[in-house]
Amino acid sequence: MKLELGHFHVKEVTFGDFTRFENGVLTINKEEALAVVREDEHITEADLVIARPGEEKRIVPVKEAVEPRCRVNSKFDNYFPGVTGSDLYQVGEGRSHALKGCSVLAVGKHWGSFGDGLIDMSGEGAQWSYYSQLINVCLVADTDEEFERHEQQKKNHALRWAAHRLAEYLGRCVKDAEPEEVQTFDLPAVTKREQAVNELPSVVYVIQTMTQMEEEGYNDLAYGWDLNKSIPTYMHPNEVLDGSLIGGSFMPTSSKWATYDYQNCPTIKALYEQHGKTINFLGVITSNLNVALVQKERSALFVAQMAKSLGADSAIVAEQGYGNPDADFTACIVALEDAGVKTVGMTNECTGRDGRSQSLVSMDPKSDAIVSCGNVSELIDLPPMKEVIGELAALSRDGMSGGWEGDEILGPSVREDGSIIMENNAMFCGDQVMGWAQKTVREY
Amino acid sequence: MKKAIVYINQFFAGIGGEDKADHKPEIREGAIGGAAAIQAALKGIEVTHTVICGDNFMGSYREDAIAIISEMLEGKEFDVFFAGPAFRAGRYGVACGEISRAVTAKFGVPVFSSMNDENPGVEMFRKEMVIFEGGKSAAAMRGDAAKVAEYASRVIAGEPVGSAAEEGYFGRGKRHMVFDAEMKPAADRAVEMLLAKIAGKPFATELPIPKTDFVPIGAPIKDLSKATIAVINTGGIVPVDNPDRIQSASATRWGRYDMTGMERLKGGEFKTIHAGFDPMMADNNPNVILPLDALRQMEKEGKIGKLHEFFYSTVGTGTTQKEAARMASEMVPPIQEANVDGVLLVST
Repeated sequence: MKLELGHFHVKEVTFGDFTRFENGVLTINKEEALAVVREDEHITEADLVIARPGEEKRIVPVKEAVEPRCRVNSKFDNYFPGVTGSDLYQVGEGRSHALKGCSVLAVGKHWGSFGDGLIDMSGEGAQWSYYSQLINVCLVADTDEEFERHEQQKKNHALRWAAHRLAEYLGRCVKDAEPEEVQTFDLPAVTKREQAVNELPSVVYVIQTMTQMEEEGYNDLAYGWDLNKSIPTYMHPNEVLDGSLIGGSFMPTSSKWATYDYQNCPTIKALYEQHGKTINFLGVITSNLNVALVQKERSALFVAQMAKSLGADSAIVAEQGYGNPDADFTACIVALEDAGVKTVGMTNECTGRDGRSQSLVSMDPKSDAIVSCGNVSELIDLPPMKEVIGELAALSRDGMSGGWEGDEILGPSVREDGSIIMENNAMFCGDQVMGWAQKTVREY
Repeated sequence: MKKAIVYINQFFAGIGGEDKADHKPEIREGAIGGAAAIQAALKGIEVTHTVICGDNFMGSYREDAIAIISEMLEGKEFDVFFAGPAFRAGRYGVACGEISRAVTAKFGVPVFSSMNDENPGVEMFRKEMVIFEGGKSAAAMRGDAAKVAEYASRVIAGEPVGSAAEEGYFGRGKRHMVFDAEMKPAADRAVEMLLAKIAGKPFATELPIPKTDFVPIGAPIKDLSKATIAVINTGGIVPVDNPDRIQSASATRWGRYDMTGMERLKGGEFKTIHAGFDPMMADNNPNVILPLDALRQMEKEGKIGKLHEFFYSTVGTGTTQKEAARMASEMVPPIQEANVDGVLLVST
């Protein structure tokens, strides 16, 4: 399968009469863009606000991030099959165009939920989220989803789906343009590779997607399908990069993988980089993180079986989330090691505010090679920002993981002067286990 | 200029060796003996006093030693406290840990030490203080003192410090998140680690899994009615005068006590010295921890053959696995000599 991804590097985003991309400037016709947002009648209020790196802006509560994309020379126009539009088709082949260096963020105008996060565009807070370095087109909106207005767990359907549509809408402005750069992701079928490649150590990349909710509407999706209702499955890495996977709305946000993270998965790119040189990259096993022990065991069995059947010598396992999913993570690594597959794990830790708690709920000496990307419970204390996009009170008020209303020692998460104290848990997609993290956890 | 006080033993004060190990605590002005090596490497900090105490005095009369030293430090201005370096000297290492624990609790200043990894003080105190990894003997004095002094100088000045591995001290079990713009992204670190693992080359996991020492469960006793049973407790049950001076926490000592002819352990004759729970119940009725009364009953009923005449005792709270394993290995020979078939290990 061969995917060509055309890059258009966005240096500035502004509003104007026509939505277009020219000389590095993305101009957005706000009314037209908001009309796309309002295609869902559940959207009651909506606005677009631009946040650029270095600006004194704090964005909260952030629910989703999407890279603007479109398909080129395709008979299909919906970029996220099974999620946007009505056509269901296989992605990862042919050509897509992407507006690089920017993302569409779904931001609650008022209401936050457990899996929502915060992004600072400058200052110390900017080092903790990947999204601080992107130009963010913030869709700040409210909805009439009254059934979950005051729920801690929200599906955030209207807002998240509006972000997907908006990213498609923006992406389409470069459909017919010539990209500045084209990245090619070409990975032939497993049995159709050159002898020299076949002789290299083979690797599968196992992603444990978030699927802990039994009810639909919260979990990660593959082509629109709730991965809670699946067993681990084999995917071509290009499918992951090209809009087949959608981030969920449940996981404490520093552990979460947004749709943008799947679209840009750095570990897939790093494995591509080594393919044919030092390794034979076999593909992706998409697993899940269901809560019952038997489901965890079943998924670990399937991952190990698939790795063996594919003839994998080694694997990288990435865990989304922490706590209960640690059991899946460790079980999966143990199952792979027991099958003779040399495995490296990628995860974050929960060592507590004092750093003294056990890192993972479940640990095994067989997981002897782990890349650690962060500590969810690290305390982060940040000064006020000039502008808040969304509503700062959500961090304290709405049960966002990592925020709190009051604490005997630390006080409330949101202070009167606009400064905040929170756990890393609330930093939007902060731990970057998909592979960006220039962070780790060390013993002191 | 910030101020430091240093604790050293009688040997490093030049008072004497084993024959002077009962030396009572004293305090002198300035950096005396081994404290001079720390002073030499400090930046912006002056050693105003040196506390000297014999290792045996601290070991045998810990509470008195701590009380005397605390009184000496009362009213003195100091920002930081050093103990050692203690190298591989076991009693000295434990003494450094004990006094550091007391000083930081009472005076609220940071405390630092240096010990060799084989010093029992490391396992006992590494979780609560910074102990640099030091050499085996006094030959390493200058280097060991410099490492701890240089690090402490940066801490006191509020300068950035690295992790335990980067700095060279024994990790305290505190894991914290670090951002480093120079660090390779996690994806590249993972692929590099994988390539090393595939090639059988060394690699360093970023999340070491603590080693768990699984002890296999013994085979069942075939005929309990003919078996000799011994009982060991980590609940600190001892004769009221605690003849073996077993410590109330972080124990390194154990004792065994004859219970021949006793139907039960009487309050007033036995008590608990365990500091990890309210002792009232156990002091009134030591059998709630060491169930001699129930075991004698089982002996009478023929459920067990007989009870071994000694019970064995130590304290579990704060006691390191390493020390516990050593004490157990010392208890085993006399138990084996008595042809004991099974041991009942009771806790609190």
